[in-house]
Amino acid sequence: MTDVICPLCGKPNPPDREECLYCQAPLKASGFVAPSEPGDEENQLLPPSGETGEAEEQTSQPAEASSLEQAIPDWLKATEANFLGQSESEQEKPGTDLVSEQIDSLLNQPSTPDSTNEPAIDDDWLASLLEETGIGESSATTSQEESSEGQEDTFEADKTEPFSEELAQEEPPASADQAEKPEWLTNLEATSPIKLDRVLPASEPDGQSTGVVDTGEETGSGEMEIPEWIAKSGSEVSPPSDKEAESQIAPAELPSWLEALRPDEGVSPTGPLEDLSAADIVTAGPLVGLRGVISAHPSAIRAHKPPTYSIKLRVTEEQRARVEMMEALLADEQKPKPLPAQPVISSRNIFRLVIVVVLILPIAWMIITGSQRTPAPQPGNIPGVVDFTQQVQTLPIGAPVLLAFDYEAGFSGEMNLAISTVINQLIIKNAYMAIVTTTPAGPALAESIMRRADTGLEGKPETYYTDLGYIPGGTIGLLGLANSPKTVLPYSLDGNNVWAVAPLNAISSIKDFSAVIVMTNDPDIARSWIEQVSPQLQVDGTPLLIVTSSQAEPLIRPYYEATPSQVQGLVAGFVGGLAFSRTVGNIQQNGTWDAFSIGITVSVLIILIGSIIAVVLKMLALGKLKEN
Amino acid sequence: MLERIGQLADPIGAIIGFVLTVMVLSYIIGDNVLFRLAIPIFIGAASGYAAVLILYNVLWYQVLVPVFQVITTGKMDNMLIYATHVVPAVILGIWMMTKMSPRLARWGTPVLAFLTGVGAATVIAGAVRGTIFPQVGASVNLLNIRTAPSELNELVGWFINGLVVLVGTATTLIYFHFGIKRQEEGVPVTRSVVLGYLSTAGQGFIVVTLGVLFAGVYIAALSALIDRVSFLWDTIIRFF
Repeated sequence: MTDVICPLCGKPNPPDREECLYCQAPLKASGFVAPSEPGDEENQLLPPSGETGEAEEQTSQPAEASSLEQAIPDWLKATEANFLGQSESEQEKPGTDLVSEQIDSLLNQPSTPDSTNEPAIDDDWLASLLEETGIGESSATTSQEESSEGQEDTFEADKTEPFSEELAQEEPPASADQAEKPEWLTNLEATSPIKLDRVLPASEPDGQSTGVVDTGEETGSGEMEIPEWIAKSGSEVSPPSDKEAESQIAPAELPSWLEALRPDEGVSPTGPLEDLSAADIVTAGPLVGLRGVISAHPSAIRAHKPPTYSIKLRVTEEQRARVEMMEALLADEQKPKPLPAQPVISSRNIFRLVIVVVLILPIAWMIITGSQRTPAPQPGNIPGVVDFTQQVQTLPIGAPVLLAFDYEAGFSGEMNLAISTVINQLIIKNAYMAIVTTTPAGPALAESIMRRADTGLEGKPETYYTDLGYIPGGTIGLLGLANSPKTVLPYSLDGNNVWAVAPLNAISSIKDFSAVIVMTNDPDIARSWIEQVSPQLQVDGTPLLIVTSSQAEPLIRPYYEATPSQVQGLVAGFVGGLAFSRTVGNIQQNGTWDAFSIGITVSVLIILIGSIIAVVLKMLALGKLKEN
Repeated sequence: MLERIGQLADPIGAIIGFVLTVMVLSYIIGDNVLFRLAIPIFIGAASGYAAVLILYNVLWYQVLVPVFQVITTGKMDNMLIYATHVVPAVILGIWMMTKMSPRLARWGTPVLAFLTGVGAATVIAGAVRGTIFPQVGASVNLLNIRTAPSELNELVGWFINGLVVLVGTATTLIYFHFGIKRQEEGVPVTRSVVLGYLSTAGQGFIVVTLGVLFAGVYIAALSALIDRVSFLWDTIIRFF
């Protein structure tokens, strides 16, 4: 199915249509068939020269001319009427231009009505040439007769179909008299500019000029048949001119400044028209057939595959080098760097070995020899020991005592002496010891201490102590223990319900114990016991006794020395343990006290000597700096 | 057989203790393989013992055994106490385990908030009731004339002791006072001269306190060293 493309609007129309559905432009004369293949698109847009000639022949037929006349839009007919009317009115005026004369020559009688037998050839050389050949009259007369018959139809058809000048020159219409003329004469007449200038305006095709060449017959008839619409428009009275209209209106008085701004009436308001005769004709698209316009060629709007652009970052060599350097730095940051290997024999290691030897040798010597030369500390000189001893000594026989093993194994060497002494005193007092702990290592330490203490004692261990185990929850667990120890620790480590048998069956709160002894090296744990348990113990006057390390003593002593005291007895460190053991009659020390004493002395000497050496070295360095 | 093993336990434990002690003391010559081998042994033994203790002492005897006893004996006496104390703890403990899953971690936040809030309340209440009020009262009564000794030589010592404690407490608290008086714009901000001197005195008390704490740590370490040396010598004497 091929559609006919309208040459005016470029829209496709059915092939049986004679005029465009959209703009009512005629399709048969100048329309073209839509291309069926993309490759033949340009060839099919323009009709071939042969088709153009056929269309030109068809326009000369009266039947098709009437149909074309009906296809002329009203606006075009009105334009023709105005144009012809103005031409007739201006014919009376002097000084008309060449175009008006040519139009007059077409519409009115030819300019040479008298010489009817005279050929319409102005050139003398051509006239003489025709006389010599003897064909001038007959051919001119024949051509005039035929051309006068078809002049009217051809003229109208030519006005509705403005064919291009080039096509008309290449394909002149074949007429009957041209067949009788020699070929050279026909070409000569067609290409002669003199005839064309006289007969036709420049905008009309040559085919028309060949049909309107002046003949002796036309001039002899004296009057040419004028179409009815032309005669009507020519007989109409022309409208009044502008000058007549202006003369009826009184001229206004304009100010001088407005007169100065008034444009010159002699200058034409419109610019010069552009000569488009040399411009190209659009051969494709909706503007096909137009001259001097920009072609909307399909290739301009054809969708192409989008070009691929490289996503590779464009960087310079310097930038690339910097990026590589940054990447190398980041990679090195994540790699663990091994520490530089230190030499085995260095001044630092030597100095360390010297200190160890100086410190350990005296200690080892005192332990090996079992020296007991240094007098043991007096209990009265150690704060808290006497009170601690009194609290233990005043415990009733068989009283339940709560022991908290909350120290770490690393402090057993410092605290074991005091703890062992306490356990022995409680065993002597036949106290029933309930052991608890808030540290995971507490039960093991308690088991070790109790196993060492019951050596040589008769009777089963469960008769004088029970291990209730670990108190979970830290500070909250201590508060629960203070309120209800039976709820927090319902069973002992061996699975016995010790709260159902004596003497713990009488325990409902922590204040029901005869004493609470806390053994810890951590000042925070000691403070938790003091803060959570001590207030309830003070209600019934139950003593809170603490065995602690030397490092926790400065933080716990304020609770002991407070008035009223929150801790009723305190044994701190190795010195406190030794003093407490002496108060209960245990004077066996195996040289440890002498070792401790000489160790403290050596340590003080090391610190003192080191400080003096550091000061001297610094002074020497300052002296050197001053000298420099 | 068990008695034989029990008799060998002490010597074996003594030998192991001797070896481990030597391995730790080898750090005297610097970081070495023996020291690095002994440290994981201590950490692993302590962690394993703590895990067994919690499973055995807490979960078994404090959570499960009471239920079995109620079932086996049919005694409902302790059932109310168990239901009000143990069951909520078990529910909260299971609820807390949602923190192990990143997807369900936010569901365990209320339990964590509950524990944090209760713990903070317990610590604050204990600190106020057991430390702040008693210690403030004790500091106030240091120079109470009613508690003063009757003898003159003791009275001088009592007064000096009370004065040092009072001045030390006051100046130490002043040292941690960083407030300044509002100044006009452009006027340099300076601390009061009196407060500056008192703060310096408080700084001196703080230095002395830290020195005492360091001395206590050193004494504890020295005591541990003496105990280890004594242990080594006892072990040597025992087997040789």
